[in-house]
Amino acid sequence: MKTYLKILLVLALTISANAREVKLLNVSYDPTRELYQEYNAAFAKYWKTKTGDDVTINQSHGGSGKQAQSVISGLEADVVTLALSYDIDAISKQAKLLPSDWQKRLPDNSTPYTSTIVFLVRKGNPKGIKDWDDLVKPGVSIIVPNPKTSGGARWAYLAAYAYALEAFNHDDARARDFITRLYKNVPILDSGARGSTITFAQRGIGDVLLAWENEAHLAQKEFGADKFDIVTPPLSILAEPPVAVVDKIAKKHGTAEVAAAYLNYLYSDEGQEIAAKNFYRPRNQAVAGKYAANFTQLKLVTVDQEFGGWEKAQKTHFADGGVFDQIYAP
Amino acid sequence: MKINQLLITVFVGAQFAVAAFAADDTATNSTEAVEIETLKQEVQKLSQKVSDLENQHQTAQQTAVGADNGQITDLDQKVRILERQRELDQEATASAAKSTPKIVLGPNGFGFSSADSNFVATLHGLIQLDSRTFPADGGIKGNDGFLLRRARPIFTGTVFHDFDFNFTPDFGGSSVQIQDAFLNYRLFSELQLEGGKFKSPVGLEQLQSDAVTSFNERSIANDLMPNRDLGVELHGDLFSGALSYAFGIFDGSPDYNGTTTNADYDDNKAIAGRIFAQPFKNSEISPLKGLGFGVGGSWEVDRAATNTLSGLTPGYTTDGQQKFFSYASGVFANGPHWRLSPQAYYYWGPVGLLAEYVISEQRVTKGTASRDLQNTAWEVSAGWILTGEDASYNGFTPKHPFDFRKNQWGAWQLVARYATLDVDKAAFPTFASLSTSASAAHAWSFGVNWYLNKNVRVNTSFSHTQFDDGKSGAVTKQPENALFTRLQLAF
Repeated sequence: MKTYLKILLVLALTISANAREVKLLNVSYDPTRELYQEYNAAFAKYWKTKTGDDVTINQSHGGSGKQAQSVISGLEADVVTLALSYDIDAISKQAKLLPSDWQKRLPDNSTPYTSTIVFLVRKGNPKGIKDWDDLVKPGVSIIVPNPKTSGGARWAYLAAYAYALEAFNHDDARARDFITRLYKNVPILDSGARGSTITFAQRGIGDVLLAWENEAHLAQKEFGADKFDIVTPPLSILAEPPVAVVDKIAKKHGTAEVAAAYLNYLYSDEGQEIAAKNFYRPRNQAVAGKYAANFTQLKLVTVDQEFGGWEKAQKTHFADGGVFDQIYAP
Repeated sequence: MKINQLLITVFVGAQFAVAAFAADDTATNSTEAVEIETLKQEVQKLSQKVSDLENQHQTAQQTAVGADNGQITDLDQKVRILERQRELDQEATASAAKSTPKIVLGPNGFGFSSADSNFVATLHGLIQLDSRTFPADGGIKGNDGFLLRRARPIFTGTVFHDFDFNFTPDFGGSSVQIQDAFLNYRLFSELQLEGGKFKSPVGLEQLQSDAVTSFNERSIANDLMPNRDLGVELHGDLFSGALSYAFGIFDGSPDYNGTTTNADYDDNKAIAGRIFAQPFKNSEISPLKGLGFGVGGSWEVDRAATNTLSGLTPGYTTDGQQKFFSYASGVFANGPHWRLSPQAYYYWGPVGLLAEYVISEQRVTKGTASRDLQNTAWEVSAGWILTGEDASYNGFTPKHPFDFRKNQWGAWQLVARYATLDVDKAAFPTFASLSTSASAAHAWSFGVNWYLNKNVRVNTSFSHTQFDDGKSGAVTKQPENALFTRLQLAF
């Protein structure tokens, strides 16, 4: 017995002596702070158990578009977990840091969880906001981030536009008029989703926040369910925030293996549970069923269905001189 | 008011009704009952009216309050929006500042820097327009006149915080030269590595910046010092600058290399170094803070016979830049050449003193004759700033820049200097001619400097140099008297 104990001790010492310290940088979009705080701790524990290595994940958060530009400009992200595939495509095309077919490398188009856009309103919903058309009424003040910088804002814009297309029988002129009237009710544009939450929840500005679903729940949790109500409109957009290893950076840092494992673990049971607990809709149906009470059922339309994909949507609506620039003047 | 009146009326009416009821003992039962009933109905109607009026009044009040609250809420929202917009603008400005280059223009030049300070560059300049006049110079033609003594754009900068560079061409004089071109890696202030072309670390006056020397020209003692050289040097400041050192390997420089070259004339390298102490620099002993002393030196082995250059000084020159000594034709450097220079300065308040002594011993050969020739020189210079500024080795800034409208006249300084250079007597007659070259020169100078502001300065000085021997030389057959003026712009 003593011999076995000695052998185990030697093995443990050997493993700990050989244990590597690995650092990863996860460049993410704005509202995922709490998600990745919890997830990173879980992954570090898992990785330590599996390999004996200590992994530290540093986070960077900001508007998805801004974050993508930062990576293109030289921020050395080992992985990116952004709000929309277009932003990761930009990193691939402009900086050539990962291949163009990156989205095929992980299940569900590299989106381990989904989300949608809901309305966060003041307690009691004093303005009676139930659906998208309530947002364009006079006297309703809407808080939403800037779609030029924020991925969540682009989802919100497209959700509103999709509602209008559905409501007006795909009459684009009427949909455009609708979105124009909606943004006339927007007094201020933050650069990211978290900034808009601060504006609405902390600064007390606006009647309704067009928020990521998880952000709306977080606001209720942080500021008290007695302050806000969540209104889920009957129709919204299926937001699919993707994740990817930044190949060239991970290779340069020698972190390719752990980076891939980090993203893969998002699809594990534990990863999916953490996502669900943080109000992201998990892909895993069993976990989704377990947390069904957290998520209201609604009709979800996709960017591909309504707008012909992100490439086209970006070019039409959010590029310089696009629809958003035409309809919104600060 | 109407309600109050109505209430009073009802109350009075009620009182009357009660009184009427109580007083009329004689009314029949049926008549009384009817009357009472009628009165009751009247009272009820009046009560109802009062109640309605109260409700209307309350509603009107609430509506008014509601309208006020609505306005207040709107105003509150507008104020919050403005405050939040201001926050976001400040965040955006701070974020933009991180990537916005900075530009600075001032008395220290024109500079620009990247937002992260990884790239900093500054353009300085030095322009010196001189006049030299040699009264009673024995007919030497062409040495009186104006000249552009120095015209230097000076490019300095730092990349990635630790790598300094300097590139200084000079367009003054008769040809364009590269004066300085070096890179300096600052690991710490105590340990720095410099490589390129820069001043050799030997002479005290030589190392002083060209923009702050007391006189137009450095003393004749500098004729024995090396000028700029190409090489690599380790240097640093220790003990918060109380001790500085510099040691390097260079191509090697002859005495007074007024026109520096960018190539070596032989395969050998020179070692040069200097230690300088300012032991009281950081002390509280004010009169001694400006005391500094040290020693510089160099050593090399010259084998100039391997190429067409002699490896020797082109000649020693006076304050007026006229040659008073040169080696004879066919003489070349052929062996060890060492220098040693103890040196010191002292600055206290408006007074400054600078002194150095230098030995330059060099083996020379002509034909079959070889000799180690030891030439020596020394100088003492003094300055007194009349307007009270503190003197310094690195110059000073006038307290009251010149502006006659404000009755400000800049800063004024008196300067004086004595210097002497002795050529080894063993140089004559084999290696130099006593008739055309002086064996010694003795120069005294005095002058006035007017510092209009940090950047503009006007000098005027007079220099008298006497020579030993050289009685047939055009320059050395009589003393040299030279009158200098200078207009200088430095930034």
